[in-house]
Amino acid sequence: MSFFGFGQTADIEIVFDDADKRKVAEVKTDEGKKEKLLLYYDGETVSGRVNVTLRKPGSKLEHQGIKVELIGQIELFYDRGNHHEFISLVKELARPGDLLQHTSYPFEFANVEKPYEVYTGANVRLRYFLRATIVRRLTDVVKEVDIAVHTLCSYPDVLNSIKMEVGIEDCLHIEFEYNKSKYHLKDVIVGKIYFLLVRIKIKHMEISIIKRETTGSGPNTFTENETVAKYEIMDGAPVRGESIPIRVFLAGYDLTPTMRDINNKFSVRYYLNLVLMDTEDRRYFKQQEVTLWRKSDKSRLPLHNAHVPQTLSHPSQQMPRQLSASSEDNSNRAISPNNPNIMQRSISPSMNDGEKQNGPSEMEQEQPDVITNKLSNTHIENNQTDEEVDDESAPILEKQIIPEKPPLAEKPQVADKPVIAEKPVLNRPESEASPSQ
Amino acid sequence: METINHPFLYTWSTAQMTNQASPVEEQEKLLDEALNVVKVQAFQMKRCLDKSKLMDALKHASTMLGELRTSLLSPKSYYELYMAITDELRHLELYLLEEFQKGRKVADLYELVQYAGNIVPRLYLLITVGLVYIKTNSNLRRDLLKDLVEMCRGVQHPLRGLFLRNYLLQCTRNVLPDTSEAQNENEGVVKDAIDFVLMNFAEMNKLWVRMQHQGHSRDKERRERERSELRILVGTNLVRLSQLESVTVEDYGRLVLPGILEQVVSCRDAIAQEYLMECIIQVFPDEFHLANLQPFLKSCAELQPGVNIKNIIIALIERLATYSQRNEGNINLSVVLEDGKEQEVQLFEVFSDQVAAITQSRTDMPPEDMLSLQLALLKLAQRCHPDKLNYVDRVLAHTDKICADIHQASGKTHLEHNTAVFKELMKILKLPADHYKNILTLIKLQNYSPLIRHLNHPGRIMIAVHLINDVLETDCLISTPEDVESVLSMLDVLVKDQPDQPTAEPDVEDFMEEQGLLARLIHHFKSDSADRQYLILSAARKALQAGGAARIQHTFPPIVFHAYRLAHTYKQLRETDDMWEKKCQKIFQFCHQTITMLVKAELAELPLRLYLQGALAISEIGFANHETIAYEFLSQAFSLYEDEISDSKAQLAAITLIIATFEQINCFGAENAEPMRTQCALAASKLLKKPDQSRAVALCAHLFWKAPKDGKQWALNDASRALDCVKKAARVAQQCMDGGVQAQLLAELLGRYALLRERGNQMLTTTLIDAVIQKIREELANLDQSEEVEQITKHFHNTLQHLKNRMECPDPDGLGYEGLTLS
Repeated sequence: MSFFGFGQTADIEIVFDDADKRKVAEVKTDEGKKEKLLLYYDGETVSGRVNVTLRKPGSKLEHQGIKVELIGQIELFYDRGNHHEFISLVKELARPGDLLQHTSYPFEFANVEKPYEVYTGANVRLRYFLRATIVRRLTDVVKEVDIAVHTLCSYPDVLNSIKMEVGIEDCLHIEFEYNKSKYHLKDVIVGKIYFLLVRIKIKHMEISIIKRETTGSGPNTFTENETVAKYEIMDGAPVRGESIPIRVFLAGYDLTPTMRDINNKFSVRYYLNLVLMDTEDRRYFKQQEVTLWRKSDKSRLPLHNAHVPQTLSHPSQQMPRQLSASSEDNSNRAISPNNPNIMQRSISPSMNDGEKQNGPSEMEQEQPDVITNKLSNTHIENNQTDEEVDDESAPILEKQIIPEKPPLAEKPQVADKPVIAEKPVLNRPESEASPSQ
Repeated sequence: METINHPFLYTWSTAQMTNQASPVEEQEKLLDEALNVVKVQAFQMKRCLDKSKLMDALKHASTMLGELRTSLLSPKSYYELYMAITDELRHLELYLLEEFQKGRKVADLYELVQYAGNIVPRLYLLITVGLVYIKTNSNLRRDLLKDLVEMCRGVQHPLRGLFLRNYLLQCTRNVLPDTSEAQNENEGVVKDAIDFVLMNFAEMNKLWVRMQHQGHSRDKERRERERSELRILVGTNLVRLSQLESVTVEDYGRLVLPGILEQVVSCRDAIAQEYLMECIIQVFPDEFHLANLQPFLKSCAELQPGVNIKNIIIALIERLATYSQRNEGNINLSVVLEDGKEQEVQLFEVFSDQVAAITQSRTDMPPEDMLSLQLALLKLAQRCHPDKLNYVDRVLAHTDKICADIHQASGKTHLEHNTAVFKELMKILKLPADHYKNILTLIKLQNYSPLIRHLNHPGRIMIAVHLINDVLETDCLISTPEDVESVLSMLDVLVKDQPDQPTAEPDVEDFMEEQGLLARLIHHFKSDSADRQYLILSAARKALQAGGAARIQHTFPPIVFHAYRLAHTYKQLRETDDMWEKKCQKIFQFCHQTITMLVKAELAELPLRLYLQGALAISEIGFANHETIAYEFLSQAFSLYEDEISDSKAQLAAITLIIATFEQINCFGAENAEPMRTQCALAASKLLKKPDQSRAVALCAHLFWKAPKDGKQWALNDASRALDCVKKAARVAQQCMDGGVQAQLLAELLGRYALLRERGNQMLTTTLIDAVIQKIREELANLDQSEEVEQITKHFHNTLQHLKNRMECPDPDGLGYEGLTLS
């Protein structure tokens, strides 16, 4: 009946509950454009209505059933035909029959587990969408609407710093330290470089953030490196004994949480690359993986433009710092990989390694974030006694930075020492100022 | 909130950063280019600010600041660029300040500017914004200051780092916390300000020192020049510290000074150490220095070998000396001793000890510097402790030791002329001389005289001349025999021959001048007491007689004249001193001995004249037995004439003097007078040359006819012998071949005729005079015109005129010229 377009047909519209109140997030589309999508978290219910509007009111629409699906899928660009769905939930909205008028069907996917975050990379895309389908004998009427999903997680206050002594024999020995190994997306990397030996003429030093996207497996593995940020931290040639501060605000960069082995299809990892350039333009560098994670934005306000640095703090959030039982657990867990027997390929346990992703409600309890007024804590002092971690495999371009010492040389982590003092604090004088004014 | 793309994201300048320096001519071009960029960007920035587009303005500011990343500019050009840029940054600062004060805040500006990819522009912006934050909310002051100074570590390039930190220092100059206690601890106290500046100072100094070690060694000179151009940037830190008003003396001693000194000592760079130590001295108040002398001086001892410590310490000493003078020496200085006790000591003591320690510990110190230090100490002692001569003496003693060491090291016995050490020692010697302006003070300094002996011969002469000139200028009198001895021993070099004097004959003129000065000095050996004056003269003679013929001919005459004057003094004292006659005799004995010494030194004319002078003095004083002594003196003179004087001119002069002296002496009786005047006449007639003979014989007439005294004629006047004399003179004159000479002699003789006649010798008749006149006229007529003849004619006419006058108005007491006709 609908051959050649003469038959009745319909338009589908998916309307989400709370669409006006819900936050939106910008997500890159296939074509590289940015799109604002409604934002959902893991475990949140996705509900709304499917409105079917008949093109020709009055005449009936015959169908084999109406359904709405919630689909989470990974698209690998080299394998366009095959989409890997990791979620596929279906709700029947109507049994086969005839539609005589505009109809609105409520739907609800209650407490949907959404384990991964939406992602659009060079070779892979992970998306969630709702698909409403009016099943017909020949051509179905389909409507797809993407939603954004952010995975939140919480890491405890007590986090390991990354501290390492590296160098080229009799040429350059440095010790560098990043205050954490895991940063949330609006975090600040605080650290320092300590020069133990300098026999080359250094011109400048920079830190770059490298995003490494790995897709596929086995012979079909594709790796894509992208320098997300490049940040000069030193100008000129230091001498022995100099210590150079590092402070990099992450909020301004286009970053995603670290994703490891998402559904056995792809990974997105981040590396801090410390690069020293000498006067003959030779580069010496050391890469260090860091874990990026998304922190809950408790305020529940609509998300700002993600690319403008935000103020996270609110006076109401300033609660006293305390070590909850869970964070102690976490600290123990965080230490375990530093057992010298374990090769430190990854410093932290994988995110989906047994740890449940916390929903927003849980986040609120755990939120240990304390914003103090102390800027001074944003510098790492020399007397810090964190353990050293070492990475045995660093990519080398021209000069290899040989790890100065085998992992054995590490100092044991003092587990019970609260590293609170070293906790970097978002450095936002503006917001600190606000309470007093 | 406005949604904008962050202006700094991914901005990564590709500007080449090289370390090669460009030739001078290129500098201007490079600077011009950079300044052009600055101009354009600054304009854009301001336009954006006017439109309230802060993000765009920041972007332009960042681009503008990017120019400061260059490595191509020399420090001078870089400075110009820096000034231009910071000038423009003021606009940004003012704009932000205004906005903030209006309450319109830009969220997270402090974080925002930190997204700039390049560190140099980023830090300039951070400082600018940080300043605005501090100014609008003093709660953030302490932490922000700490953060800024810490973040600046990222710039390790010396030139760029120095200017960046200078900008930090300039920006914060008015916002540093300057109270000792704050109600709000976040505002910070002065201790935070001290920490802030000290840290900035330490970092800047490190950068500055590092410049020395970068680049080729062949550029060393240029590098050092550039460094000295930049030193003010480092020094500004110290100025800032000194401007903190709530820093107390205790704070200074506990925090500031140790902080600075630690950095200065540990940087081990001579240029920096020298400059910074001087800076410390100049910028901090005197009270601070006084309270912390020991640590400061102790650090001085630890400086690098190349550092000119001397200048540093001298600067400090001079400052404190001036201060002490201002406070009239009322400085309470307490020093912590080794056992921990505090003790009040004199400023000098502290310096003296520390300087000694420094000279001892720094074996590489050139000896002239050691002497310079002593010089400074000497100044200190003189200015601050004018009452303590022993301080000065102590310095001199120490100097003496240093000189001895120098001799030992060089193997020579004296300091060579015009070497650096020589000059320094000279200064040291001149300083007390010029300060006290009193040689009597100098001789109280036990170590002064010995010190002179370290100089070589010319040097000793110089200082001796200097000392004598001082005495002459100040007209100071040396009035005891002991002082005279000391003074003369101090002036040893002028008094007698020296073992090290040059073998060549000294320059006669110089020698005469020196001895002349010494002679003038002798006139200052004067005492009010006559008896003591005698002792002084004896002492002086004793010292001076070692000088040899060349010297005593200059030095003895003043002694002799002193003695004559002393005899006159005794005459005046005859009422009070019964012994005066005896003493006078003794004095003349002394004189006689003295003159004899001159005779023994094969001198003739000088002792002759001294004898004559003595004879005159004796006759005037007229003590007992004076005639005999006067005769002795005169006869001694005469025998000198006979034995020693052979030159005809000298003979004439000597006989003239003898005759004149005799004419003046009235004490002789006939017994003594007769042989004397006969001998004189005889001697006169024996002169070799006719004109001399004529003149001398004419003079002899006065021996026989003296002018009346007190209206009475001399008892021994012998008119005919006087006439004989003039007649003989006329005769001898006529024997002269030369008409001119004849005329001259006769013209002179005419005068003598007239004089004797006027003195009452009637035997010189007008006829005789007329004859002489006629003779002269005759002679003159035969002479050709010449200058000489004219002069003789003039002389003649003058005499005639005199006669004419006398004829017209005759002297009532004398004889007239009756019967003389003058045509």
